[in-house]
Amino acid sequence: MSFAPQPAEDMSLRIQELAGSLKIRDVMTRKVFAVTRTCTMRDVQTIMKNNAISGVPVVDDKHVIGLVSVHDIMNAFEQGWMQDPVAKHMVTGVRTLSEDQPLSFAMSAFSKFPYRRFPVVNHNNELAGMLTLRNINMALIQELSRQLDAIETESGRMTPAATSETCIFYRIYRIARFDFEAGGKASGELREQLQARGIAPKIIRRAAVACYELEINIIAHSYGGTLTLYIDRDRVRITANDFGPGIPDIEQAMTEGYSTASDWIRSQGFGAGMGLPNTKRLSDEFVIQSGVDMGTMVKAVVYLGNGE
Amino acid sequence: MKKLKVLVEALNAKALNAPPEWEEREINRIFVSDLISDILIAEGENILLITSLLSDQVLRTANVIGASAVVLVNRRHVPVMLGKAAAKQGIALFHTPLPKFESCVRLGHLMESA
Repeated sequence: MSFAPQPAEDMSLRIQELAGSLKIRDVMTRKVFAVTRTCTMRDVQTIMKNNAISGVPVVDDKHVIGLVSVHDIMNAFEQGWMQDPVAKHMVTGVRTLSEDQPLSFAMSAFSKFPYRRFPVVNHNNELAGMLTLRNINMALIQELSRQLDAIETESGRMTPAATSETCIFYRIYRIARFDFEAGGKASGELREQLQARGIAPKIIRRAAVACYELEINIIAHSYGGTLTLYIDRDRVRITANDFGPGIPDIEQAMTEGYSTASDWIRSQGFGAGMGLPNTKRLSDEFVIQSGVDMGTMVKAVVYLGNGE
Repeated sequence: MKKLKVLVEALNAKALNAPPEWEEREINRIFVSDLISDILIAEGENILLITSLLSDQVLRTANVIGASAVVLVNRRHVPVMLGKAAAKQGIALFHTPLPKFESCVRLGHLMESA
């Protein structure tokens, strides 16, 4: 995985929002291994090895005065400086971040400067933690999943405020890439819901198959996404949203037999190029929108009164 | 229309999961495929699905299309997990050592006879 910094302008709005709401303090590593100026390069190397870290700040009375990276250690090894005090070979003029700053500030610092880590200081300018791109990635992923969890839990219990009183069932399912194990969860529940309401088997089948096709599409072809079920007295609405990669040619994707599935997906029994055409055939309303590198949205509606 | 029991006996199939009333189930159509994409296009009610696929997805797909039963062909032995998964979803699941072609020929004769 590449850790090339993303310029702030290219970040999605959602990520920018998250990065603005988190503080560096919430994300940084607090357990920091620091050394004083009289420690040797050898000492630093031992600390790095024992703790699997690649950068050690040098402090003087808790104030950061320098940083030793793996690169400096390699250089010292080559030159025979391993017994020298770190003060002689550390990088000075180290740029630090403040723990009160928003995460978005740190993200632009990573894209502006070539550093892989920043010491973080408190309001007294004392070392309080370290921040790496890994910290940021983990924090964003955790926060995103937490928010998705909240949406998911909430959706099963209540109807969305924006929808009418006629809503009978509403749920959002989170679907992960290549998680074939989970494929069929939403369509299984949809089937149960419709059966419990005495809907004609033929219609249940159409709705369940359309839903299943869309679930499998997210699993097999996207980076992950969500599927939303909405049932009211007259219809089932299935909305599939994914995070990309998007479909360059929708007309082609809607052609029976056209498939971009890999051998592995085919080995799972899928990939005959029937998914989208089949979903469209089974639906009373069908809309697809896609943007390359942005994602795909499919909305399929099945009327519950038809074919009885 | 044929009783599921008659079809299962014709294939010498053994039950992996047999819901209580399975013998009474009626079969209108038989659908044979090893491609889930194709199974999802199967039309009709009271379907018996014949396949040699062994994945969990087969059961889920059978559930989604509302198939009445599934027979795994060309299988002398089947992972125990499949039977458990079928029980969970309430699917009637059988397996037969007969190859797919042989199974289809037998079922074809049966379905054509009055």
